[in-house]
Amino acid sequence: MRAERRWGWLLAAPAILGFGIFTIGPMIASLFFSLTDWQIGAPAKFIGLGNYRQLGHDPLFWKSLNVTTYYTLGVVPLTLVVGFVIAMLVNQGIRGRGFWRTVYYLPTLVPAVASSVLWIWIFNPDFGLLNSMLRQAGLPTSSWIYGEQSAVPSLILMSTWGFGNAMVIFLAGLQGVPRQLYEAVAIDGGGTWARFRHVTLPFMTPTIFYNLVTGTIGTFQVFNQAYIMTQGGPNNATEFYIYYLYTKAFTDSEIGYASALAWVLFVIVLVITVLLFRNARRWVYYEMGAAR
Amino acid sequence: MSATTFGRRRALQFGGLATLAGLAGCSGKSLGDSGSGSGGGTKELQFMFWGSTAEQKAISNMLKAFEQEKSGVTVKPVFTPADYDTKLNALVASNRQPDLCYMQSPMGYRLAEQGKLVNLYPYFDKYPDLANRLPGTYFWWDKGKTYGTQSANEIMSLWYSKPALSDAGVETPPAEADKAWSWDTFVQNAYKLTLDQNGKHPDEDGFDPKRIRQYGVSAGLGPTVYQPLLLSRGINFTDETGRKSMLDTPEAIEVFQNLADLMYKHRVAPTPAQLGNNAPSTTVQLKTRRVAMVIDGQWTLLDLAQGKLDFGMGVLPKYSKPMTITLGGATAIFSSTKHEQEAVELYLFHDNPTKVDLFSTGLWMPLEKRYYTDPKDIDVWTKNDAHPAEYRTAGVDYTINNSAPYFYQKLRNIEAIDKVLTPAIQVIQQGKTPAADVLKPLAAKLNGGLLQGTYPTNGS
Repeated sequence: MRAERRWGWLLAAPAILGFGIFTIGPMIASLFFSLTDWQIGAPAKFIGLGNYRQLGHDPLFWKSLNVTTYYTLGVVPLTLVVGFVIAMLVNQGIRGRGFWRTVYYLPTLVPAVASSVLWIWIFNPDFGLLNSMLRQAGLPTSSWIYGEQSAVPSLILMSTWGFGNAMVIFLAGLQGVPRQLYEAVAIDGGGTWARFRHVTLPFMTPTIFYNLVTGTIGTFQVFNQAYIMTQGGPNNATEFYIYYLYTKAFTDSEIGYASALAWVLFVIVLVITVLLFRNARRWVYYEMGAAR
Repeated sequence: MSATTFGRRRALQFGGLATLAGLAGCSGKSLGDSGSGSGGGTKELQFMFWGSTAEQKAISNMLKAFEQEKSGVTVKPVFTPADYDTKLNALVASNRQPDLCYMQSPMGYRLAEQGKLVNLYPYFDKYPDLANRLPGTYFWWDKGKTYGTQSANEIMSLWYSKPALSDAGVETPPAEADKAWSWDTFVQNAYKLTLDQNGKHPDEDGFDPKRIRQYGVSAGLGPTVYQPLLLSRGINFTDETGRKSMLDTPEAIEVFQNLADLMYKHRVAPTPAQLGNNAPSTTVQLKTRRVAMVIDGQWTLLDLAQGKLDFGMGVLPKYSKPMTITLGGATAIFSSTKHEQEAVELYLFHDNPTKVDLFSTGLWMPLEKRYYTDPKDIDVWTKNDAHPAEYRTAGVDYTINNSAPYFYQKLRNIEAIDKVLTPAIQVIQQGKTPAADVLKPLAAKLNGGLLQGTYPTNGS
């Protein structure tokens, strides 16, 4: 028993150490830095909540928060809906089911940088795929990521293309819906809609909830597209929060201020997550009894 | 050498606060220092730099040559093509900075003010080549204090494809400053050089602006393009003191509106959208006849000279006085170096046109004045296949007689200014808002405390 415990700790050690050294340690360090005016190269001076006070007067902080929220409100619902619908479709007994699943999951496997570069081409207003198709169809074209109004919607569209992760989790959830309930609905004379509304959807709420929470946390940290595709432009239209934090830290070397930005985001995401969990009690259905 | 503006394409890797915080606790010991600093063994220096693969090769060769000349000194090249600022910042934060390195000037000024960089002024008497460089290339952070100069010099020029011009019957852009095209002539010629898919010009009926095959000129609205034109119009980005913006003057409004009009009114230049992010290089665009003329930096010559393209180099169009700017990233020595004397010698070696082939291949221009005035010295770097015949006037004379330093390298607080300036100029670039409507509030914003004067322009 004791040997087993020792082995357990030993095998878990890499993960625990890694978490301690590379996550918890830096987090504590950045909390400390956020209370200083540390700029790389200069000695750090303790300034208490000075950085946090300065945030309120920083127009780019508010701008980046707005842009990121806008993006999240677009991406999360879209990804959930598209992922769910496609998951339902490829869950049918169609031929080549495995093939379709793979096809829809593939975009998720493309590295962020590669897909960003790919989408730069797709979005090119002059010879990009999207505008060429729109032109062929005689529809109006857009300036996509090059227009102040259309930049964030373009990136939302691009992110929705990566719904594969959500889809795979939904698929797993769909496997768990008890077959006999479908039969019961059929015996009671219910059609497709009734099956979906009274069996599939309730059983899928935990999965939806999971995707909602992880999706929200993930999208709030969007960075790659701004970094690679737009550099936060045009006119700060895509100045995402993490991208702003990054430029503060590494272009302006203001580590203290950037750490404060990081902690503010942490608190914001934490609050949103808690609210989502609170609200989940109303609509998430667990077969094994009451939700949390 | 492409690091001229902050918004340049950065390469694709990620740093993070976490890594930095993790490093911050480390003790300060230079990377790879053998620890025998004074022990009579070899002295090791580190040289950190960015650039293309061609630059990497040239710099590595230069460092090898230095090692051969200086026995007992080894230099380790630290080639960092991507995310340069991030890595350098992380190294400084953890006190593991190199001995010498390329550096963006704003970071240089900041580190110099913090006492992290070597003041090279005391070495001026000993090394005349350090003392007699183009005045605009120095970075003075205080009276009698300079952290050095640009790694090399660059200017902004007009590049063109000869076949594109001869097909359109347009004479080649002048290569002498006093013969420079007026703005109107420049625009007229751009009209002749712009063609849609059916071969129509923008001023002809039936011209299809959605399907332009060849643009007359690619200029954009970057600071390296508008500053020379502001200078030519008789003003600068700010007044002499560097505390008052000139962007709300009629002259500046005209310059910016003219640049925007190239794209949206005359339709002779690609918009940022038409060009697209990740646009092909100037060389590729000229070669594929996507554009006929391009306003771009002198460094373009390296690529152009290697490509199989019949190209030419001209001076920029002018309003009144023909003007260009001098610019370039910095090279600096960290005061943490254990071998300052050797580092200074390497500093002088690394930008010496007789030691590095980056000058003769067209990437760099020299820093010392004599390379622009003494025919023998001019030949050292321009008498070769890479430099076209007109370079003597369009490159050498133009620099020495018709240039002023790039304002990004001279203004204090430029990082904060940039955060306000760049987004505002992007609004003009979108073509929906007249320049005046953007520039007036922008100038007010800049005058509201962002403009904090200039760094000294000389040592006294």
